[in-house]
This record gives sequence, structure tokens and C-alpha cells, in this order.
Amino acid sequence: MPLQFSKYLKIEVEVVVARNSFQAEAVDKGKMSKKFVEKSAVVFMNEDFARRNGFKEGDIVRLSRRGRSINVKVFICETSPRDGVMMPNSIYSSYLADFDNFKRFRAYIELSDGDVTKPDEIIDQIKNKNKK
Amino acid sequence: MICTGCALLCDDVIIINDSGNLKVRNACRRGAKLIANYKNLRADATINGKKVNYEEAIERVKEIINNSESLAIYGMDTISIEAQKLAIELAERKEAYIDDNSTFCLGDFVEMILKKEIPSTTLDEVRDYAYVIFYWGTNPFHTLSRHMSKFTYYPRGKRRQRGYEEDRFLVVVDVRRSHTAKLAKKNAKFFEVRDDLELIQAFIDALDGKPPKIFANDVFRVIKEMEKSDFNVIFGGLGLRYGLKGKYDKFLEMIRKMNERTKVYFIPLGCHPNMRGFNELLYGITGYVNKYSFKDKESKEDFAFYNLLFEEKIDTALIIGTDPLNSLPFEYAKKLAKINVIVIDPRENFTTKIADVVLPSAITGIECGGKMKRIDGVEITLEPMIEAEIDDVSIIKSILNLIMEGI
Repeated sequence: MPLQFSKYLKIEVEVVVARNSFQAEAVDKGKMSKKFVEKSAVVFMNEDFARRNGFKEGDIVRLSRRGRSINVKVFICETSPRDGVMMPNSIYSSYLADFDNFKRFRAYIELSDGDVTKPDEIIDQIKNKNKK
Repeated sequence: MICTGCALLCDDVIIINDSGNLKVRNACRRGAKLIANYKNLRADATINGKKVNYEEAIERVKEIINNSESLAIYGMDTISIEAQKLAIELAERKEAYIDDNSTFCLGDFVEMILKKEIPSTTLDEVRDYAYVIFYWGTNPFHTLSRHMSKFTYYPRGKRRQRGYEEDRFLVVVDVRRSHTAKLAKKNAKFFEVRDDLELIQAFIDALDGKPPKIFANDVFRVIKEMEKSDFNVIFGGLGLRYGLKGKYDKFLEMIRKMNERTKVYFIPLGCHPNMRGFNELLYGITGYVNKYSFKDKESKEDFAFYNLLFEEKIDTALIIGTDPLNSLPFEYAKKLAKINVIVIDPRENFTTKIADVVLPSAITGIECGGKMKRIDGVEITLEPMIEAEIDDVSIIKSILNLIMEGI
């Protein structure tokens, strides 16, 4: 297997959050459904950006911001920003965003060996940290 | 029938009811799936995650609300105006806070329209008369999928008989080449911006006769196109809202200067089917569109639902038809687990997972009727496709009656 140098790279990118009708459609299968996770736990990037930074479709990447991180899957999409990535509105983007940077924020991205984060993992954090 | 899949409230959707299975014609991807899958993942009445009957759940709601010293009612953008009215009445009785998603969505723009600080129009007028059509920080291809085909770029209108081929000029402003931006080819211009305020300044400079610092040729060209018509429209989305960084005055200045040359209207492009209805209703009652305290009788940023959570100012949240765990940033959403949470919703969602009580409701427009306001403020009457026994109106009415017993 060829050595994948990007595995050791962690770069800062701008993340644009936007609605996506395919993801909205998946809501009707349920927000805990596999379909919703497939359409929400994703990061879209254009082909050029992916090539320049050593990512390819299907990679699992870790997005990190302010001490929080999630694992999402890479999709190549030509409507992604020129120098950044795009995520659909969901519990995943909300996990990283704040109101000063609600639709556009900067985050670190790197390849990950782990699985895609499940919504339950985020909800558990909410429950466990705050249990009355 | 009317589709409540988004704020367009399309009125040409055909439903075939095959023994409770709904088949859909004419709707977009979002609307068709909402209607066809209406039976999926319905919420159950629960207390602390355990299934109970409806009466037990509503009795628990009564206890929680009667014991609450600081209640916030939140959401309501997917329910009928009739149900919103009752929720506002409940907030008034309990001297509670009331807020919806428009506080961090496009409520500020709606308030400007209602206060006549910015000229607005209807989608029907846009279809008939609009020449230059801006989509600024919004991507209707995904958010309001039939917007362009029903009302703006593609259809023929009274004074726009030649449609997009010759009678429309499309302008798209975005930080990326979205699907909508990709349509900007002939009779069109795509502005790929880093900073919306820079483009606004460029328009202001050009309108003042000064050379713009960016997009000089294109800005002058768009203004020239706008001057060809006496009806142009800007549709603004969340990209614009957050791109302004709170500097609404710059945007208003640009619109004012444009209107000195030609006629330009503005319509905010929100997605929730009845957000506009909630904003107008609350405005009619209180003079404010959102984040209102019936105790303090005023609206301010501190009373935004997310700020009430963050500052731990409330002990109970009644959440109706929305999913704050999905939409609020984590720092705010996590505070929900510290307080009593009551959810009224037709479906299971992330917030129902942490709710103390869940009251299952009906999907407005599918299982119950009522009125909603379209994105442009036009009132639309909904007829149910299937009748449900319990809906938002009956639930909130029951809560109101029970609360009255406790007062």
C-alpha cells in the first residue's frame, strides 16, 4: 500500500454550512436513520481542493474546532467552496458552530481511522455532561 | 392541496389517498418525501423516555408548567397560525418568554418589512413583473426547490412573456458556485464573494458614481440592467444575514440608493413553512416579531431562546414543532438537558431523546388544516389530506385549560 502523506496532515479550512435537499429528504426516514447519517455526517469538497490536500471520496476525516471533533465522510462535489469545504445543516454542523460563526467557520481537518460519528454520540455528550 | 414541505406552500400538489397511503404529484423532493413518508417515525407520548398514554403525558405537562417559575415557549414555525395564537396566549398567561427560529434566521428582515423600512412584494408580482432577480446568500435549488420554476426565473408572467430566455436577468451572490449559481449563464451574473459587505459597498459606490473597488464592470452592468425595468427583486438568505455581520444599515442604504434609480423589492428566503406567520402574528400582538418576554413586555437579544438557555434564565422549555438539538450550536443546545423539556411534535427527533415529556401531534397540512403565511406574507388556507384526532391546536388548548385550573 502506498504511503499516504496526507494521513499526517492537519489543515485549517473554512467550513460553509448550507441546506441540502437530499439531506432534508433523509429526515423523513428519521434523524437516527442510516440514511440521515449518510446525508448529514458528510463534508463536501471540490475535486481540486481534495487533490491538493490528499483527500478522496469516501475518506473518513476528523473535523475539529474549539476542543470538539466529529468524524464525517468526504464527498466530492463541484458546488463546494473553492478553498474550503461544505457541510449540510444538521446536528453535526451545529456541534462545531457558534452564533458568531454560524454559517461559516474555520475548523481543522485530517484523515481519521475511526468510524463516522453517530448522532447518539453527540446526544450522549449533551445528556452526560448535564444530567440533573 | 397545499404542500407544507417548505415556506413556498405550493398550491398545485395533487394527492392520491390510497387507503391512508398518500401518493404525491407535482411536489419537489422535499415535499414529496414529507407527504409520502408521513407515517414514518411518529413520536409516542412519553415521560422520561417511557411510553405512556396521552392523558398521563398531558397531566405531567400540567405539573411541570404549573411548577415552572420561568417558562419559554419555542419553535412554532411548522404549525398553523391558529395553534401559534394559542401558544402565544399560553405564554401571555404564564408571563413566559416566546421565541422561534427566526431569531437566528431571517426575523430581522421580516421586522424591517413589517415596519416598512424595506420595500417588499409578493411572489405572484415577482412572477408577473420582475426583471433583475437577485439570490443573495441563498440557494433555492436546495432550500425552496420550486421557487425558480414557479415564481421567478423560469415562468412566463404578465409582463414577462419571454421568461428566462430574454425577460429575466439573474444575479447570484454566494461564497461558492452553488447549484443556483451554476444557472447564472446567459442574461445573468454570478458574484463569488468573500465578504458580502464589500459587494454591498461596491453597489453603493457605483450608485454614487464612484468606481467600485471590486467587480467594477459587473456591478455597473447589473445596475444598468436594473434600470431597464421598474420591478426588480432581491431574495436574501442566511448567507446574506450572517454576511452582513449585523450591519443591516449598509444593506438598507444600498436598497435605498437602488430605489432612487429604479424599483427594487426585497423578500427574505426562509425555509420553515410558517415562520412568517409566527413573525406577523406576534408583531400584531406585541409589536415585535420574536424573542419576546410577556413578563417584561419587551423584546431583546437577552430574550432569544438560545440566550435564555445559555444564561440559564429558564427552568422549562415548551418546544413545539422544532428540533433545537439539531439546529442550535452545541454550547446552547447542551443546556437543554439541564432544564425541563416538553416537546410537542409529530415525529421523533433529537430533542425528543432528551425530553421529559413528549406529546405527539399531527403534521400540519397533512393531518390537520389551518392557516399559514407563505414566505412573502400571503395567507394560505390548508385542508388536511387525512384527519388526525389530536393536533397542535387541541394539545395547546388542553394545556391552556389545565393551566387555567392551576392559576
